[in-house]
Amino acid sequence: MAKVNRAQSTSPPDGGWGWMIVAGCFLVTICTRAVTRCISIFFVEFQTYFSQDYAQTAWIHSIVDCVTMLCAPLGSVVSNHLSCQVGIMLGGLLASTGLILGSFATSLKHLYLTLGVLTGLGFALCYSPAIAMVGKYFSRRKALAYGISMSGSGIGIFILAPVVQLLIEQFSWRGALLILGGFVLNLCVCGALMRPITLKEDRTTPEQKHVCRTQTQDFKRGSSYSTLTKEWVQTCLCGSLQQEYSFLLMSDFVVLGISVLFMAYGCSPLFVHLVPYALSVGVSHQQAAFLMSILGVIDIVGNITFGWLTDRRCLKDYQYVCYLFAVGLDGLCYLCLPMLQRFPLLVPFSCTFGYFDGAYVTLIPVVTAEIVGTTSLSSALGVVYFLHAVPYLVSPPIAGWLVDTTGSYTAAFLLCGFSMIFSSVLLGFARLVKKMKKNQLRFLAKESDPKLQLWTNGSVAYSVARELDQKDGESVAIAVPGYSST
Amino acid sequence: MPVEKNITLERPSNIKLICQFTTSGDLNSVNVTWRKDDEILETNYLNATGSILYTQYMFTIVNSKQMGSYSCVFGEKKEQRGTFNFKVPELHGKNKPLINYVGDSVVLKCKCQDCFPLNWTWYSSNGSVQVPVDVQMNDKYVINGKNANETRLKIMQLSEEDRGSYWCHAIFQLGESEEHIELVVLSYLVPLKAFLAIAAEVVLLVAIILLCEMYTQKKKEHSDDGKEFEQIEQL
Repeated sequence: MAKVNRAQSTSPPDGGWGWMIVAGCFLVTICTRAVTRCISIFFVEFQTYFSQDYAQTAWIHSIVDCVTMLCAPLGSVVSNHLSCQVGIMLGGLLASTGLILGSFATSLKHLYLTLGVLTGLGFALCYSPAIAMVGKYFSRRKALAYGISMSGSGIGIFILAPVVQLLIEQFSWRGALLILGGFVLNLCVCGALMRPITLKEDRTTPEQKHVCRTQTQDFKRGSSYSTLTKEWVQTCLCGSLQQEYSFLLMSDFVVLGISVLFMAYGCSPLFVHLVPYALSVGVSHQQAAFLMSILGVIDIVGNITFGWLTDRRCLKDYQYVCYLFAVGLDGLCYLCLPMLQRFPLLVPFSCTFGYFDGAYVTLIPVVTAEIVGTTSLSSALGVVYFLHAVPYLVSPPIAGWLVDTTGSYTAAFLLCGFSMIFSSVLLGFARLVKKMKKNQLRFLAKESDPKLQLWTNGSVAYSVARELDQKDGESVAIAVPGYSST
Repeated sequence: MPVEKNITLERPSNIKLICQFTTSGDLNSVNVTWRKDDEILETNYLNATGSILYTQYMFTIVNSKQMGSYSCVFGEKKEQRGTFNFKVPELHGKNKPLINYVGDSVVLKCKCQDCFPLNWTWYSSNGSVQVPVDVQMNDKYVINGKNANETRLKIMQLSEEDRGSYWCHAIFQLGESEEHIELVVLSYLVPLKAFLAIAAEVVLLVAIILLCEMYTQKKKEHSDDGKEFEQIEQL
């Protein structure tokens, strides 16, 4: 008989090794998101060395960002089927190879392939599995854990930007890319930290896989086994993939997906167009750079404080509302931006936008976990980040085109603002509809049978039948165990 | 307070310098001289109207010896000066050194913003002496410039001896101006050592973390074996 791994089935530790996982995820965010943003520091060097214009070199950054997000589902698949540790270590090796090969590039096309595709693929294999792992280790302090992990992006840019500049000055861009490749190799260390944990919810999936395997073994013993086993293997695989991605059919998740599309469309152009907008209204270069620094630093503060705040008991049940509040407020900031034409007005804008930008980034994994549960969190996050990819790619060029045709930034910013507000309103509306349906079911149940009490949990209603024990006069309630979403 | 004016001049030109001096006192007692670098020149025009003393100096600049500082001096004890500084156009350059690796080729650029020198020359120096760059070595040095206002020196097959300071001189009819470019040549081992150090640190950390994990798992398994045995006994 197979050994039952009883000791590994636990509830989320909310501490202990969990903090090492947070540290690992923090480092993953630094090595992926911060390094992606710092690649733009190399553009001036690439422009002079390869004699190309800014638009051609800026493609590298777009390719890395796009590939990282597009291949996020691939990252979750790899980490689900092999193991989180192997997935992230593989990603680290791939990203590092991309950077090292990039240091030997002789043309811009080489850089697109090595620095763009290879490194982006490596980052994709690391990003969503690491974030999903944090969700498995925390439940009570989930938002705070996510806040600390995601703050790696802001802190990483803060530290890496001057370091990369220094590396380029000391070793020229080739040496700097080589050393950056070495730095990114630290993703393997993060991968090693991601110790697997089996939660109580995950007990069903290993059993089903076991059932699949025993049935295939039975069929192998039969006579015409080749075609039948192939069919069974296929259905088993399809079955496990179907189970992994079953959340795609949930209406809640579809609504989240659509709102993420609009939210990603809205949030990306600001980081590209804030400095040119500030310069166009008469702010000096140094003040514009200062605005970007404020944005970055307050982003970090927003990550951690909002995470801590939404973990408090009073806000714990309203994390969803906090998320749409943050997204909606960012949209409102966008709408006010065209009216802010002086530096003293742009500073509070940067602070507010940066804070709530950090806030909703922290809550994306929390809200996703609330909808799909911890088992499918890795795959769900893969899909959510995949939905970020296309808006990230098309939104800054569309905003740039709007600026060029209308001659001012108003149209572009208004579009982004409305996009984010629509995203937030859509989610709020979906929640309202759900609540109304729940109330309707409760109302219907009360009318049909006075003895039946309806308990609603999520989107499914369970009935609890009361059996009166005539001897003692006690009521024995038989409860049907149901699906709990945490 | 001294009054100064900087004038940039490329080609030989006719010059007319004008100074106006206002005083409340007696104009006739004021002594006016024109000087070039403290050498007194022949004053050719002087006019006094009301309280303004007007003087001008006309001459022609044809060669570099005539460039310098010209001043009109009013009075002897209490001097009031107006100075005109004549200079050839200056070259503005990058202050950051160029970093390249052994075996690469590099292009050193010198550009003059709004001026057109007659000629450009390149010098290299490893100390204080400037040595002209040997352009005859065609497989090592190539000098060309797209326009008259810029010059490029391409150095191929860089080696460690090529490092140091390079000077580009812009030659005008009225003088020369120069610019300094620093070239640094590194060998591939320099960043490679840093990379290998980081890679070694990564391998070490991964090994330590995985060993810790195996150790804690073994400990758990030993304590679990005891628990399983107890439960089987209870059944």
